Amino acid sequence: MVLSAEGLAKRYGEREVVSDATFALHRGEVFGFLGPNGAGKTTTIRMLVGLVRPTRGRIVIDGHDLHRDFEAAMRRVGCIVETPDLYRFLTGRENLEHFARMLGDGAAARIAPLADLVRMTGRLDDPVRTYSLGMRQRIGIAQALLGDPAVLILDEPTNGLDPAGIREMRELIRHLADDRGLAVFVSSHILSEMEKLVDRIAIVHRGRTLAAGTLAELAGNGGRSLEELFLEKTEGETV
Amino acid sequence: MRWTGLVENETLKILRRKRFRVVLLVLGILLAVVVFGQARQRRNAERDNPSGNWRARVESRIARMDRDLGRRNVPTNWARWMRFESGRLRYHLEKNINPEALTAPVFCRTFAGVGSFLLIPLLVAVVGADLVSSEFAEGTVTLLLTRPVARWKILLAKVLTLVLFTSLTLLLAAVLSWAIAGIAFGWSGWGAPMVTGFRLGDAGFDVSGVRVLPLWQDALAAWGLAWYSALAVGAVTLLLSVVFRSTAAAMGTMMATLIGGTILSRVASDWEGAKWFFVSCLPLPEFYTGVPTPYPGMSLGFCASVLAGWAVAAVGVAFFLFVRRDVTS
Repeated sequence: MVLSAEGLAKRYGEREVVSDATFALHRGEVFGFLGPNGAGKTTTIRMLVGLVRPTRGRIVIDGHDLHRDFEAAMRRVGCIVETPDLYRFLTGRENLEHFARMLGDGAAARIAPLADLVRMTGRLDDPVRTYSLGMRQRIGIAQALLGDPAVLILDEPTNGLDPAGIREMRELIRHLADDRGLAVFVSSHILSEMEKLVDRIAIVHRGRTLAAGTLAELAGNGGRSLEELFLEKTEGETV
Repeated sequence: MRWTGLVENETLKILRRKRFRVVLLVLGILLAVVVFGQARQRRNAERDNPSGNWRARVESRIARMDRDLGRRNVPTNWARWMRFESGRLRYHLEKNINPEALTAPVFCRTFAGVGSFLLIPLLVAVVGADLVSSEFAEGTVTLLLTRPVARWKILLAKVLTLVLFTSLTLLLAAVLSWAIAGIAFGWSGWGAPMVTGFRLGDAGFDVSGVRVLPLWQDALAAWGLAWYSALAVGAVTLLLSVVFRSTAAAMGTMMATLIGGTILSRVASDWEGAKWFFVSCLPLPEFYTGVPTPYPGMSLGFCASVLAGWAVAAVGVAFFLFVRRDVTS
């Protein structure tokens, strides 16, 4: 188990945005976090990466408690939260160098191979403001991998990409999980996306985890499709 | 090694945003305009009084001020300033030091005082306002704060970088004012005697604390004090940059505060509580010369302490907010 969240909750004033999110990620798997917009996915992700302080609950990453030992825990994590907002006035390479300096030890040496992996070598010295969303997404992935993490957390990674881009992103994520043994956490509100990509899935709605398991387990009894299950669990409220 | 890396990151961002270059450009243009104006003024004065006798000119200035002081309805602040200025000029006559000698070093020294309460703080505010606010405005904060570097370290790196760039701004302001003024007035004259330390007390003009220093020493002291003020401005700017997610809001608020505070010290001289406001205490180099303070009881030590208090409080609150805040969008 490389990441575990236990009983995460977040309350803003009277409103509980997330209540009791509990799940765990294992090495080499892609974990889908599925729910309609406004289900608390983004707040949960923001808690996982330390941007938002949970009201209750505990996050442990590779043996380090996120709140007690933020630096050690985050050293094992790479992430893209919502859109990959890079420094637009810097080049792709300068952005990667910027984040490599925050990591120290040998991260700078990974820039070239990672640029290769995300196929951005040719455009690395252009300013980010000239990049398409797909290119920024790819530099974002390279950035997330700079620290050689054990967990990759991606918030709606295919959002806004064209069909070729979506397919490419899917292949990249599978490669990272299958060949490099990363645990990849992917959130999405698109069902079909998830079915093609993930090993295990959690369905969230109104801040609660409604169901969790492998696709087969969830679909299992009665041979329902993921879509049917999703609609049943979320009472038909999708986007 | 990590610390230098963090400061390098912040430096890179400031330099590549081009804002700092704009600040220097504004500074250069402004200085050139002021030097041009002063050179013209001097040329006209020489035309009107070709004998070039500075004693005669200074004596007529004193007479004019004494005449004005005799009038009724002279605003208190203005009367205080004239009493100070006529006393200062008298002292120069007595010691046979030309108070009007204008060289590049004198211009540089004067600029430390004149720039310390509005222009230099504005430049510092422009450089510092987007330090944190831009990370929120551009969304890069989510990347910056999800790297394995504790938030207080990131903010401290930003603070160090702001100190660096504030110092650089002051250094360049000093060097530029000297270099540009030199074109019109000549660059030498650092050894000329500079009279400083006058006091206008309740008992009248007080010369007991007056020192005559070589200009370079006096200029160094004045720029040192201007730097101290600028750091306090940087601290308050940092707080606004943390509070506001928009750079424009942070910069606008800081500018309104600086301009409002300067106006306040001109118009509300009977509200003594305003001396606790940091903007009132910014003209340290002016107070060091002995220029009357806008409110009574504002010694150099008092002003330095007030500025330090504001700076420490602002940085403290900035750290508290930055470390605790939930980053939600």
